[in-house]
Amino acid sequence: MVSGQDIEAGRKKAEACGACHGPDGNSVVPLFPILAGQTSRYLYLQLRDFKEGRRTDPQMSPMAAPLTREDMFDLAAFFAAQKPRPTGFKADEARAARGKAKADETLCTMCHLGGFAGQNEIPRVAGQHYEYIVKQLRDFKKRARTNDAGSMTSVARTLSDQDIEDLGHYLASLQ
Amino acid sequence: MIKQLALASSLLLIFAAAPSPAQVAKNINVSQDQLTKAGSDSRNWLHTQGNYAQTRYYPGAQINTQNVGKLRPAFVFQTEVNESMETAPIVVDGVMYLTTSYNHVYAADAATGKEFWHYKHKMGPVTTFCCGPNNRGVAVSGGKLFMGTLDAKLVALDALTGKLVWETQIADPEKGYSETMAPTVVENKVLIGTNGGEYGVRGFLKAFDADSGKLLWTFYTIPEKGHEGVWADKDATGRNMHRDIAKEKAALSQQGGDFYQTLGGGVWMNPAIDLKARTAWFVAGNPSPDLYGDERPGDNLYTDSLIAIDIDQGTYKCHFQYIAHDVWDLDAVSPPILVDVRGKNGGSVAGVIHGGKTGHVYVHDRKDCSLIRFSEAMIPQENMWVLPTPDGARMLPGANGGVEWSPMAWEPKNRLAIALNLHQPMTYHVEAAKYPGGSKLWLGGAFKVIASEKQWGRVSAVNVDTGKVAWKHDTEQPLIGGGLTTAGGLFFFGEGNGSFNALDSATGKKLWSFNCGAGANAQPVSYMVRGKQYVAMGCGGNTQIDFKRGNSVFVYSLSN
Repeated sequence: MVSGQDIEAGRKKAEACGACHGPDGNSVVPLFPILAGQTSRYLYLQLRDFKEGRRTDPQMSPMAAPLTREDMFDLAAFFAAQKPRPTGFKADEARAARGKAKADETLCTMCHLGGFAGQNEIPRVAGQHYEYIVKQLRDFKKRARTNDAGSMTSVARTLSDQDIEDLGHYLASLQ
Repeated sequence: MIKQLALASSLLLIFAAAPSPAQVAKNINVSQDQLTKAGSDSRNWLHTQGNYAQTRYYPGAQINTQNVGKLRPAFVFQTEVNESMETAPIVVDGVMYLTTSYNHVYAADAATGKEFWHYKHKMGPVTTFCCGPNNRGVAVSGGKLFMGTLDAKLVALDALTGKLVWETQIADPEKGYSETMAPTVVENKVLIGTNGGEYGVRGFLKAFDADSGKLLWTFYTIPEKGHEGVWADKDATGRNMHRDIAKEKAALSQQGGDFYQTLGGGVWMNPAIDLKARTAWFVAGNPSPDLYGDERPGDNLYTDSLIAIDIDQGTYKCHFQYIAHDVWDLDAVSPPILVDVRGKNGGSVAGVIHGGKTGHVYVHDRKDCSLIRFSEAMIPQENMWVLPTPDGARMLPGANGGVEWSPMAWEPKNRLAIALNLHQPMTYHVEAAKYPGGSKLWLGGAFKVIASEKQWGRVSAVNVDTGKVAWKHDTEQPLIGGGLTTAGGLFFFGEGNGSFNALDSATGKKLWSFNCGAGANAQPVSYMVRGKQYVAMGCGGNTQIDFKRGNSVFVYSLSN
């Protein structure tokens, strides 16, 4: 923990985030990502990228614009410390199995770690909302999201729409 | 309320009853003479790779080809970390020092497994590393242990108590630097390199004073000037690498060579030490970004190279580059071994050998780094060197090798370098990408395995004087982890499915196997306590190949 990475300060600052992401980072709207239990490093870098324009989103970009570095550290620390809750997503078993095979082939866990728990700047994806996962993979594929230095674009380039949906079923069903 | 109080007091009792941190009940003081002569010491295992020549050859023969069938677990040491295990336990006078992912260190009785102490590194807020939160072990010298950490620190611990003696920052983790290798200590200097070839670091080998942690010298694997090299169009084996050298030259004159600061060249396995020649021998890894070469015109010296430097000053002596301007991440990782070899003109010369991700064992002359010979390919090679494309180009070997970081072991009787290989058919994908600022993975593309093609592993024993494969032993899964040879005529290695095996090191015949229940992907070692030989091997799986995780070191001895 560095100075300026304060969970309690983050809790207050996170009040503005709760409407979409849920008060404890467990969003109930599937297009808004679950932040609870996400790695703090990833959260910080995404906020920084939204603020500095490397990642854009009509809702998030203006939210991130006024944040200071300390704000971003605090928010990241707060959401990282929250417990992610199951979304209740009902995966299609056959699709989830195909998704796992595709994940193995794509060597996802070399970066995302076993169980897609995430580490450092590589996000936790286990148990994320299906809709959000699918949107991100599509965005990476069509270069609508490029703030990861191209790794995910390269990975997503050879994924078909069906592959992306299969991966969504697999990842959303992990805990 | 009463219930809560009762619970609170029982918790207090539990805490009160918990043993206080124990101390190793004997003096630990490893002299330079012991470190120098470790190759003939059958009692201890003092270096990650066995000795300064890094042969991973154990000189004891109590466990041998005749009795290895009676090898059984003596004890299992469970750690609290269920994650990728790559440690080579260090054993001093019956005390074992082992590490886990996330930089835990344990001291235990090497004959019984009884724990003495447990050190958890207090990780800083920023860590940046690819391929798993690994650690490959400590180094020992005097009464201290030395460990590199994921947050790019070097820590010195008291070997008796596990207490921190000093720590120093090696490099900035925010820029992608991290430590997974075990250091090597020579004459009170702690030598350590860095990870980070996937993040745009500038690789190095540094020397720190063992008493104070003060930096003594730094050798950068990327020179500020001259990293464009000789514009080599062929690899070490003479195959064309399909470089567009005119385009690269134009790019270099236009953009300049300042990218040396982000050109990669990590050093993340131990250097071998030739004390007489005052030389450290090590290999440097891939250029950054891995697959996208347009950002870094030139040979990218000294990436993908064998390097020799002076151990007193850290100054350059010679190098040999295997692949210039690598865009496949088929770099040099497995630690070099110093042995005498048949020279170009027939006589014996001081040699240095390296097992490459390309699937060749390379044999060099220590006089000037020059290549004497390379072995026949140990695994299938196809389409070398097809350039990566956006949609992926198939080439063998895949980007994990050949021989990954897996240290080879030396079999002196038949003059064999025994290497653990992977066969993982992959496609290589390129994606243009500018330097993203050090906090993000920077591959410039991706590797993908080809799901329809079978993956497997192969142990290959290469005669270093001829370059011929003397024997091979195939396995169901790709191999990653260390090998161990012994004077008992054995070769020990592990598999991702949990099998820990002993082969006859002269013939490759399988003599013994035990399944430890998780990936046996660490580095085996051997030692003696009170006249009894033990073999120890971590069983914690592997992040990179995603083998089943575990948390234990298994220690074996002969049953009566």
